[in-house]
Amino acid sequence: MSLIWKQILIISSAAIFIFLLILFLIIYTPKPPVSDMAYARNALSLAARDKADSYSKKLYKEAKGYYDSALRSWQKENKRFLYFRDYSKVAKLAKLAVKAANQATDNSKFTSSNLKSSLKQKIDALNDLVNNIDEMFTTYPLTAETRNRISKGGMLLKEARIIYQKGHYLEADKKLTESEYLLTTSYENANVNLKNYFKSYPEWKKLAEKTIANSRDSGDYSIIVDKFSRKLIVYLEGTKKYEYSTELGKNWVGHKMVRGDKATPEGMYKITMKFESNKTKYYKALLLDYPNDEDTAKFKAAIEKGILPRSAKIGGLIEIHGNGGKGIDWTEGCIALTDREMDSVFKIVKVGTPVTIVGSMVDLHHVMKR
Amino acid sequence: MKNKVLMGLAAIAMVAFLSSCGKVPQTEIDATNAAIAAAQAAEANVYVPAEFTALQDSMNAINAAVEVQKSKLFKKFGPIKENLAKTLTLANTVAADAATKKDEVKKEAETLLNDIKAVNEENGKLITKAPRGKEGAAVIEQIKADMVTINTSVADAQALYDKGNYMDALNKIKAAKEKADGINAELKEAIAKVHKGKK
Repeated sequence: MSLIWKQILIISSAAIFIFLLILFLIIYTPKPPVSDMAYARNALSLAARDKADSYSKKLYKEAKGYYDSALRSWQKENKRFLYFRDYSKVAKLAKLAVKAANQATDNSKFTSSNLKSSLKQKIDALNDLVNNIDEMFTTYPLTAETRNRISKGGMLLKEARIIYQKGHYLEADKKLTESEYLLTTSYENANVNLKNYFKSYPEWKKLAEKTIANSRDSGDYSIIVDKFSRKLIVYLEGTKKYEYSTELGKNWVGHKMVRGDKATPEGMYKITMKFESNKTKYYKALLLDYPNDEDTAKFKAAIEKGILPRSAKIGGLIEIHGNGGKGIDWTEGCIALTDREMDSVFKIVKVGTPVTIVGSMVDLHHVMKR
Repeated sequence: MKNKVLMGLAAIAMVAFLSSCGKVPQTEIDATNAAIAAAQAAEANVYVPAEFTALQDSMNAINAAVEVQKSKLFKKFGPIKENLAKTLTLANTVAADAATKKDEVKKEAETLLNDIKAVNEENGKLITKAPRGKEGAAVIEQIKADMVTINTSVADAQALYDKGNYMDALNKIKAAKEKADGINAELKEAIAKVHKGKK
């Protein structure tokens, strides 16, 4: 055999040996769990797209933790000598990541879907509540604080709706919770006040019926002032003859307690004086006999009970007068009519004409329905 | 002798080739990570969340691909380098998109802030002309309370805007604008009814 053939044989043998060695090395190299890691990555990505990081925080964090640990473990194994590597832990962690990520996705879908529908219901319910408040308390003098709370609650509701429409349900939920608290507490407080006020309704009803009966019996004029509906009603011979809109004291709810409280008293009174234009600054006026004996007794009892301070003074000079038509409750406790209407009333009444002032002539149920 | 030299050179060339292909492209990885961090700093997660998630997915896939290559006897980082280059470009695009979107939101908030100031001013004038009929007084009291709330909301929105939190500022100002527009329409309608009644 010539030298050249010998060399070819040696080189070929060496090449085959190297080839087989490489093949052996490749075949028996530990294989990393590439597909497990890819599944885990995919599952995590889907979970993130379904906002599991927001709606299923714990599970998503757990899944991410498993994936990161798997990757770290993979990196650690890769630093070891090729044939000493063991990727079983990486595969195990990747599988755990897949499981947790899938759970996070399902949980997130379920939570966000439930939250979405419950938020929609809450928004609708609160919108109804806002409308209810608007309808019920249009004429009722709510305190400035209550009005501010209603207003703030309404604004938060609007913000919540805008955020909800953008699909940020958790943020919307926070705003709605705040809004719900402000609106429901304001509504409940206002409702309690209104119900307490209407506890006197049976008494008002009696007073009104008595006044109408007096008018019928005497065949003369009587006046009833319905504070809640802002009406002054003139009766003749027990029949409603005229009806006028009125303006009252700013704090018209409840009985007048003390001088300067800007409340309009409730009870049965009589006209004691008639003032022409040159005797009053309110165009024309009809002075009532407030405080009568019953008012004085109530006032003294309130002082005795400590409800009013000893320095308190009883009010007076309650009139039906002109200068009305301002559209607001502006008097110190008097009942204001427009000058034209004052002329009409002034003509038909006389000193001694009964004037009964009541909170309402209809019960709360009817007021609410109205 | 000549053959031995040739074989030696071939072996050296092969080793050089294999070693050059087997190096982790750390510089490219660092550059891409920096670009992703820049996208996050540009609030891409807030303004273009879907794009940002896709970017993160892309980088996660690259990190895994690097480990796949590191697990092999013969490493090949060429395709990874290509992906890194693509991801780097994507990161820059996402950052630019976030900046554009943020600017859009900023401008929208700015416009609404200016608009609402004008509406509030008009409402302030209209309320003095509003009719105060039977139910007018309490309605006006409520409108006044609403106007105070709107002003508070505008101030809050302005503070958020000044802090660069344009998205929250926009949500707040949208709600306030809706309320202010509602009041504006309500007042105009009430005033128009009175004028119509007088004719």
